[in-house]
Amino acid sequence: MLISLNWLKRYVDIDLPVAELCDRMVMSGFEVESITDLSQTMSRVVVGQIVKLEKHPDADKLQICQLDIGEAEPVQIVTGADNVFEGALVPVALHDSHLPNGMHIKKGKLRGVPSNGMLCSGEELCLKESDYPGAEVYGIMILKDSPAPGTDMREVLHLDDYIIDFKITANRPDCQSVLGVAREIAVVLNKPFNAPRPEYTTVGGNIHDEIKVSVEDTDLCPRYMGRIVKNLRIGPSPDWMKRCLKAAGMRPINNIVDITNFVMLETGQPMHAFDMRHVAGNELCIRRAKPGETITTLDGKAHTLTPDMLVIADRDEPSCIAGIMGGENSEIEDDTTTLFFESAKFRRDSVRRTGRALGIRTESSGRFERGLDIMGASYALDRALQLICELDAGDIIDGTIDLHDALPEPRTLTVPAQRINDLLGVDIPFETMVDILNRLHIETTLSADNVLTAKIPSFRDDIEGRADLAEEVMRIYGYDHIIGTPMRGEVARGQKRPQQIKTDKLKRLMIAQGMYEIATYSFISSKAVDTLNLAENDVRRQAVTLLNPLGEEYSTMRTQLITSMLTVLSTNYNRKVPAARLFEASKAFRATTLPPTEQPEEAPVLCIGMYGKEEDFFTLKGVVETLLETAGEKVTYTASNEPYLHPGRQAEAYIGDKKVAVFGELHPDVSAAYDLGTRVYTAEIELNTLFDVEAKPVLYRALPRFPAVERDLALLCDADLPVAEIEEVIRKAGGKLLETVALFDVYQGNQIEKGKKSVAFNLLFRSSEETLSDTQIEPAMQKIIKKLHEKGCDLRS
Amino acid sequence: MSPFPLHKKEGKEMQEKLQALKVQALAELEAVQTPQELEEFRVRYMGKKGSLTELLRGMGSLPAEERPKMGQLVNELRQLLDGALTERAGALQKSLQEQKLKEEKLDVTMPGKTKPIGGLHPLNVVLNDVIDIFQSMGFDVVDGPEVETDHYNFEALNVPQDHPARDMQDTFYLAENLLLRTQTSAAQIRTMEQRKPPIRIICPGRVFRADEVDATHSPVFHQIEGLVVDKGVTMCDLKGVLEQFAHEIYGPDTKVKFRPSFFPFTEPSVEVDVSCSECGGKGCRVCKDSGWIEILGAGMVHPRVLSGCGIDPEEYSGFAFGIGLDRLTTTRYKISDIRLLFENDLRFLEQFDK
Repeated sequence: MLISLNWLKRYVDIDLPVAELCDRMVMSGFEVESITDLSQTMSRVVVGQIVKLEKHPDADKLQICQLDIGEAEPVQIVTGADNVFEGALVPVALHDSHLPNGMHIKKGKLRGVPSNGMLCSGEELCLKESDYPGAEVYGIMILKDSPAPGTDMREVLHLDDYIIDFKITANRPDCQSVLGVAREIAVVLNKPFNAPRPEYTTVGGNIHDEIKVSVEDTDLCPRYMGRIVKNLRIGPSPDWMKRCLKAAGMRPINNIVDITNFVMLETGQPMHAFDMRHVAGNELCIRRAKPGETITTLDGKAHTLTPDMLVIADRDEPSCIAGIMGGENSEIEDDTTTLFFESAKFRRDSVRRTGRALGIRTESSGRFERGLDIMGASYALDRALQLICELDAGDIIDGTIDLHDALPEPRTLTVPAQRINDLLGVDIPFETMVDILNRLHIETTLSADNVLTAKIPSFRDDIEGRADLAEEVMRIYGYDHIIGTPMRGEVARGQKRPQQIKTDKLKRLMIAQGMYEIATYSFISSKAVDTLNLAENDVRRQAVTLLNPLGEEYSTMRTQLITSMLTVLSTNYNRKVPAARLFEASKAFRATTLPPTEQPEEAPVLCIGMYGKEEDFFTLKGVVETLLETAGEKVTYTASNEPYLHPGRQAEAYIGDKKVAVFGELHPDVSAAYDLGTRVYTAEIELNTLFDVEAKPVLYRALPRFPAVERDLALLCDADLPVAEIEEVIRKAGGKLLETVALFDVYQGNQIEKGKKSVAFNLLFRSSEETLSDTQIEPAMQKIIKKLHEKGCDLRS
Repeated sequence: MSPFPLHKKEGKEMQEKLQALKVQALAELEAVQTPQELEEFRVRYMGKKGSLTELLRGMGSLPAEERPKMGQLVNELRQLLDGALTERAGALQKSLQEQKLKEEKLDVTMPGKTKPIGGLHPLNVVLNDVIDIFQSMGFDVVDGPEVETDHYNFEALNVPQDHPARDMQDTFYLAENLLLRTQTSAAQIRTMEQRKPPIRIICPGRVFRADEVDATHSPVFHQIEGLVVDKGVTMCDLKGVLEQFAHEIYGPDTKVKFRPSFFPFTEPSVEVDVSCSECGGKGCRVCKDSGWIEILGAGMVHPRVLSGCGIDPEEYSGFAFGIGLDRLTTTRYKISDIRLLFENDLRFLEQFDK
């Protein structure tokens, strides 16, 4: 919220530098986003009076001015403008001056004639007509009201001010106003707070003869107040009021509109002014909109309303969307003669919902949404009438509309003072607490048994209990009084959950194999999954989508991690990174129903992606094997059938009957979709399946006491026969003495019949009881050879 | 052929021969340069057909009374030569080894052969440090779902429907009641529902807000929520824990400052600043000349949040804090653009987990 320092000074004596003021406000809970020194927008621009004007000898369109700038000698400046005249008062940018538009003016020569600066237009000073009359005239700005030559233009333009941008927290709706902030400043500086005391005179009459107002839906409108002003004298507002509005970023319009805006900014209470000419039947009803009712708002936009929206309607139709924006037809115009001032409290959640539904957010609705003081409506109304009087903008009719149910009584909190110190861990004297709370307009007394009794003012709805009072005391007493104390209580190292420990271990394993961890968004493009060529009914297409995504690109909760991984691989590949080994451990979101009615399952998944000249299917499988071995269970691998993987180079891994991983070389179509001109290898591992395997206790196994007997087997079989099946045959037939079976060669080519392959295993036999002799393993070898033969594997001769 | 063919001669003659043999043998041994020459020498003198053996054999021609003496002399010479041979062999081996070592000299400035190891994502490098610090202070590490219900993300945290505090965060919705959690604070509620005080947990996790992507904003980011609930927990305890954290992360001289703020689920609420580790608090570009860097929000758990979870606020109090992991990471490594964290260029990733 932008507030002018000079405006604040109307209500509290601020006698310290602006930076210091802001520091103190920050430390009491009011963050300052920025401080703008208006005087810094320009320098060395002064009022000059043209004392002599001549034509330039060598240029038809240039004139040479001699200017009185309050010094002994006049200054000579050449100008191209043709609206200047002798005696005119104009803004003069002297040599080495800076203008708000960024220009730096230096002396020079124009067609050979020295020019010691520049005469300024309103545009060059970044001024609008509302800033200074005549500012938008084409040519040099001619100054009014005879400022003395030499006067700094900042003084003429009232730029001796600072604009402070306060960030008001959501719990302090009372500070969405200049008075609210000024009240806080008064507390912080321990100075008196001088709020205006509205006084005005009326001209008689009776409001009830002018208008009938009724509140139909009191639940959405707890209080509705109004006054009538007649014989409006519409015109421009005084400069001081215009400056206040402009400082807050508002455009001055006319005295009536400006008063409503000024009072809103000053008190935080939005006001609305109805042109009585357009209040059909001279009656207003605050009611829910009827189905299908429409309104065209001030900004010219048409809206269709629904029955949960509150409107202010005349006899015929809605005239205003309550608390949000007035209708086009209720606008105050130059010839408006009678107005009805509204000052009301609308329920904040209703204003919020309506504003969202219609896509409108205004200064007014923002304030209503945060919640207004129900008692503040009358003050604001009185203040507006006071300004009507002061500005002589109209005649106030007697009588006030004030419709409300029982107004709330001030709440009282009783809190043992020691409880506040107990919560904070400090030792604030109880009398100091009382003093601070009273300064905050929370009337507080301390009983003999040290209990605080605090009367909460109506504008502090946020104070509900002990903790809130503690905060009020502390933020004024100063948070630097909070001195850290070391952690107390039981001394024990914190625990991680088993799944976290297991995940950490897997990550260490990945890193040991040269893999780098990546982090990607949990939501992806809805089209991403299409790149995987998945079947229409594939569960990975059953994704939860965001109702309000930032864009299509981030619209879908991912059901798999592959597409994110491929995007990252593609980024790296296309940036000429020659090789990459990457992994990500994150969540896949699997909905039970679509659209979702409950939280989707969040399955931890480990995704691996790699490319590079060292990589092939088996380097990938090696990584996968290393990971799956951590389960301590037998893992079986079979060829798989994922549409996004190479049909002949992919596998799935099982622990028992549970699929734990799918991995393989990326299908060339998918590689092409990601602009990956190299072979890519990916894996997805279901961590829950891996982690669910019950860990077996690690027990020592005795070291072998007897030597092993080694045998090599070279076999010839069909090229299609999986090695794992051959190995399985050997193991089964090998009996108890067979300790290990290790594949050491697979060969196809010369000397091998087409369609066949040569496979060689190294077998190790060992007994734990004796040194084996050749004859002892002969029966096992015979059985192995026989079974292999049955499987179609013959010994290579 | 032996250089000293022995014939049946007088004993004296033999003694002279013996002497000559000794002198020659030792001289020859001295000249031996290779293991091969050494072996030849051994064979020449001490082999089956070597000079000494022949000399012994020639003793048959000596008178019987001279034989023992002569035999002794020959044996003495044999022992002498044996010893000299062993010594020479040792010296020879030593010099050969020296030669070999000399030849094997490497340019040790050439790079080592490594098996490349990978690394954690920078966010997790920093997260692990943070977890270590809090684990050592007795905080258990928990986690919670990224898709939350309105109840856990807002209602139970004292942010009712249509409360203005909801405007503080732009929320992604999946269904009317389902959203992507905007804060790890949701885990506070789940923890307090499951555990009874004393509670001391941190919950690291991913959170989501509808911020357009730019150098300092990401719709996906990470927080570490902390929660302590016990009897007699005070705001000074909160500061103590955060000071410990700040000292370990930013250095032992780091100062911690509380600034009043507002969060619906804590009361009192504070923003927590640490003195800028770049300039030591003097003011620099990093801290925008303020000398302080905002690192987290914190406060005393709101009594309504406690009672909503079945914990009596009259008996227990607690504090909570939420650390922004992404900011912690970018400030530690001076990463200027948060987007780099999610782009995952390998040349970026390689720089952190050292």
